[in-house]
Amino acid sequence: MKLDLFNTFRDTAHENGVIFYYTGVFSQNVIAAIGDSLKQRLDSVNASSAARRKVFSTFIEMAQNILHYAPELTEDDGAGPPAKCGALAVGRNDEEKFFVVCGNPVRMEDISRLHEKLEPLRQMSIAEIKAAYREQLRNEDHASDSVSKGAGLGFLTMARDATEPIEYSIAFASEASGGRADLYLRATI
Amino acid sequence: MEDLHIPASNETPEVRFEFSRHCLSMHGESYPENAMSFYGPIRSSLQNYLEKLPADGRVEVNIGLRYFNSSSTKLIRALIGMLDEKASNGPSISVDWLHDEDDDMMLEFGTDLKEEHRSLKFNTVVAEAA
Repeated sequence: MKLDLFNTFRDTAHENGVIFYYTGVFSQNVIAAIGDSLKQRLDSVNASSAARRKVFSTFIEMAQNILHYAPELTEDDGAGPPAKCGALAVGRNDEEKFFVVCGNPVRMEDISRLHEKLEPLRQMSIAEIKAAYREQLRNEDHASDSVSKGAGLGFLTMARDATEPIEYSIAFASEASGGRADLYLRATI
Repeated sequence: MEDLHIPASNETPEVRFEFSRHCLSMHGESYPENAMSFYGPIRSSLQNYLEKLPADGRVEVNIGLRYFNSSSTKLIRALIGMLDEKASNGPSISVDWLHDEDDDMMLEFGTDLKEEHRSLKFNTVVAEAA
């Protein structure tokens, strides 16, 4: 990367309020390490304790979501063993609200289930989200769900901590690149 | 039976179940990726302890979690459920649920637990600032 391009990259991130950015392999160790530096970063920008807790919670849910949904891929240069990769950014918008965004590859077979989980949340009020959260908490059926380790509570937890509906989009790469899809999520806190 | 002590890690709380003193506590943050592998053994030893607890037994439980992730949530609730079921058969079990003063979400979670588990002496308590 040329230095002037790196400068543009930094400026663009800064203009968009980004205070924290990570791209690469996601593992539980990586999540714990970047979680620690995110906490320090939130302290350094004087986030309120409520914002710190919610941003951290959303970060953990998104990062662990990458662990659950991302297929193990080999990076473009082919070096290293296949791993779960993604990118995640935290920032603060013009209204002083924090946001957490992430993007990661997902398996084609999980796309319809992601739509089913995410779309209804967008229409729900915070009271409905809390009611759905309580209902899911008491729902014992999740044991049969082999995909979701969040016991169906992951997206509801994100929605509960957010002040706006969770935005998402699924981008399909061309057939030529193996019919891959990427999931993007944005939570505003 | 032997006490259970699990020191805190980056993503798991300190667990100190002093069965000999009937004092059980859990403090810290809980966001293991595989919550079942962390809570499974805790659940088994609690189960063993509760099975032997006489009807006139008294137990004090202190839970202070600053944060837990979605996959820990049901498992933490399940521990409270086990205590409640036992308490409905006689033993006096009190649970202090600690939360930071301004942490409404943790207070709300505790209040919901209290509503649902009527056999416990369940108190939500503001945690002392660390």
